[in-house]
Amino acid sequence: MAITLRAGGRRVGRTRVRESYNKREVLAGYLFIAPWIVGFLIFTVISMSWSLGLSFTHFDLASNSATAAGLDNYKLIFDDPKVLTSLFNTFVYAIMAVPLELAFAMVLALLLNGMVRGSGVFRTIFYLPKMTPHVATASVFLLLLNGNVGAINQFLGFFGINGPQWLTDPHWVRPSIVMMTLWGAAGSMVILLAALQNVPRELYEASEVDGANRWQQFWRITLPMISPAVFFLVIVNTIAALQVFDQAYLLFYRDANGSAPDAALFFGVYLFQQAFQQFNFGLAAAMAWLLFVIILIITLIQMKIGNKLVFYGGGRND
Amino acid sequence: MRLKQFGGMIIGLSVGAALMACGPNSNQPNPGTSAKNQFSKSVSGELKTYGFNPSDEVGKSRSDFANAQLKGVKVTMDTSSFDTQKFAAQAAAGQVPGLIYADRAQIDTLADKKLIMPLDQCYSLWGVKPTERFYPSVISDVTYQGHVYGIPEFFQAEAIIANTRVMKASGVSLDQLDTSKPDQLLSAAKKMTAMSGGKPTRLGFVPDMPGSAAIWLAVFGGRTVDQKGKPALDDPNNVKAVTWLKKLTDAQGGYAKDKSLLDSMDVFGAKNQYVKDQVGAQVWAQWYVNVLSDYKKDIDIAAVPIKTLDGKTLAMAGGAAYAIPAKSPNPSAACEWAIRVTSPEAWQKASEARQKTVEKDNAINTGLFTGSPVADKANRTQFVKSSGDSDFDQVINTYYQILPDNRPMGASAVGQSITDNLNNAVIVALSGGKSPQQALDDAQAAALRAWKQSNAGRNG
Repeated sequence: MAITLRAGGRRVGRTRVRESYNKREVLAGYLFIAPWIVGFLIFTVISMSWSLGLSFTHFDLASNSATAAGLDNYKLIFDDPKVLTSLFNTFVYAIMAVPLELAFAMVLALLLNGMVRGSGVFRTIFYLPKMTPHVATASVFLLLLNGNVGAINQFLGFFGINGPQWLTDPHWVRPSIVMMTLWGAAGSMVILLAALQNVPRELYEASEVDGANRWQQFWRITLPMISPAVFFLVIVNTIAALQVFDQAYLLFYRDANGSAPDAALFFGVYLFQQAFQQFNFGLAAAMAWLLFVIILIITLIQMKIGNKLVFYGGGRND
Repeated sequence: MRLKQFGGMIIGLSVGAALMACGPNSNQPNPGTSAKNQFSKSVSGELKTYGFNPSDEVGKSRSDFANAQLKGVKVTMDTSSFDTQKFAAQAAAGQVPGLIYADRAQIDTLADKKLIMPLDQCYSLWGVKPTERFYPSVISDVTYQGHVYGIPEFFQAEAIIANTRVMKASGVSLDQLDTSKPDQLLSAAKKMTAMSGGKPTRLGFVPDMPGSAAIWLAVFGGRTVDQKGKPALDDPNNVKAVTWLKKLTDAQGGYAKDKSLLDSMDVFGAKNQYVKDQVGAQVWAQWYVNVLSDYKKDIDIAAVPIKTLDGKTLAMAGGAAYAIPAKSPNPSAACEWAIRVTSPEAWQKASEARQKTVEKDNAINTGLFTGSPVADKANRTQFVKSSGDSDFDQVINTYYQILPDNRPMGASAVGQSITDNLNNAVIVALSGGKSPQQALDDAQAAALRAWKQSNAGRNG
């Protein structure tokens, strides 16, 4: 622990003070977190290590044995145009889905935050889609997105708009998956709502005195004060978007004949096909690690940029 | 601190990777097959099946019959559909079921990965000649490198089911629905198609794409694989087939709009596309006749065989097969159970059970298309009589007539990859994203990549 030395009210230096640790308390702390540590070691560290090793082998499921393959699997990845297609589809989806989900969740959170009565009921209603299993959601969206008789196109038809063929036109396949993702935006909404409710009221009162309008209050007070939550959601949602699988698989690969346009081939789906249709576990492991590295790089970039934009109230540099 | 943590992670992962590469199971020989017969007529113990669901009288009567034959064997069933992901997890854990029931298209892939065992000795132990008990094409679809790996069942070939009401109103006759004359068929399709507001409200001719892609390639003399199972998607006749199919779908509003209309149809219900006159003719497997029989009073139908360009009738169908995992805990019991459940005696039980249901529901017996010519003939002779509805009699007879012209779908160690890539190519071509040639070339390249990673592809 570091303490600040002051003389006459002025800061003159810092020094470290050794704390005396109560061994029983330390042991109790470790015991409490032991289940998580064990789970982390087994299901994350060891699994990831195994997968890393697998990616350098040709794995034979029949004999549960592996022969060293060097970089063969990684070479195969870079020689396969479908990997590039699937990565492109995944990136385009992430670029659309993350900001849209954030914006949609923000709107819902602002609406809930502004409510005096009934916010609990609406919060529950908004969260219900998040609780719905993805399979059920996909079944509903197959009907909603039908180009001829789906409810979305019928709604657009009221305004004279000829809706697209959401599930069959390659240009609209990714937006249709984004729409299904927005259905589950309530997870982000809850986090933003908590952040909004922690913004000190006096800041708004002071800004009203200074003559700020609603938009200025949002831009100058609300957004900076909730920026840590927004930053967190951008990172987490980007990671989730780059790993998208359920929505694409359920909308386009639900049939046994696997008929889907190229625009619906996402990286997670292609990885799944390599592992469980072709039984190429080494290649699938290599693909998984490629995705991990990509996500790691993107996350580091986001953190680098984000730390400059995020406002941490409460003296984070102390 | 960050650098230490990062370094610790790298060290941990490297140790794990090294452990994986130098694990105790590295480079152990594959179990393979031994010269000794793995199968015996003396059976005992337990047998767990996976994938077979005796949900109707046809399945239940046969499984009851097989269970009764295996005295002293306790048979338990995992009735969920066969899933390769679940099976892979079982194989990795060393806890495979005794017998699996999977799509025939998956058999060669499982055989290529040595996950299932050849059944030649199983067949010979019980005195069964595969190509005599089952249609040769069906056995061909479960044969890998000269050995039979599956015991198949069902061969419900595809034919064209025409809506004669729509045909009459459009001035189209049944002989115009002739796939050996594509231009004539295209013209008939155009006559029967109806549009409203730029969207189709009735499709003149539904070729069932991409599900029946392999059949349409065969119509035009094309193929999906060569004799070794190597992908052959870029066959020039395949390009002709897809080019014609593009013309057909474009003439009916385009693939995207057609698919949207098809997805909105109440295929299994009282307002199906034949009742509502939403199609003029559609390609269907035989099992759909059973669905339509519930609505016989509301529909007028007829069936037409699918023919190749040189006028020969074509009967192709997928289906299921029983296979025994390479590490099955009870291969003898699995062998006997699978042989019994697909035996003529079992199918006789199924036929009787089906007939009881038909009589109880006052329905039409549309036949059982078992994959075995012996069982099919017995079932038809005893139970498939004139129904009193001439339309359905004609349709049922058509499906029986095409059976002798059965052809294999084409088995391959990378069957699923070929199917996926072919289907994707067809969708892309029909949607106008690529030319048929380009789409099939790309599909062939992708399928070949998968082929080269398979054992069959690596070994030539």
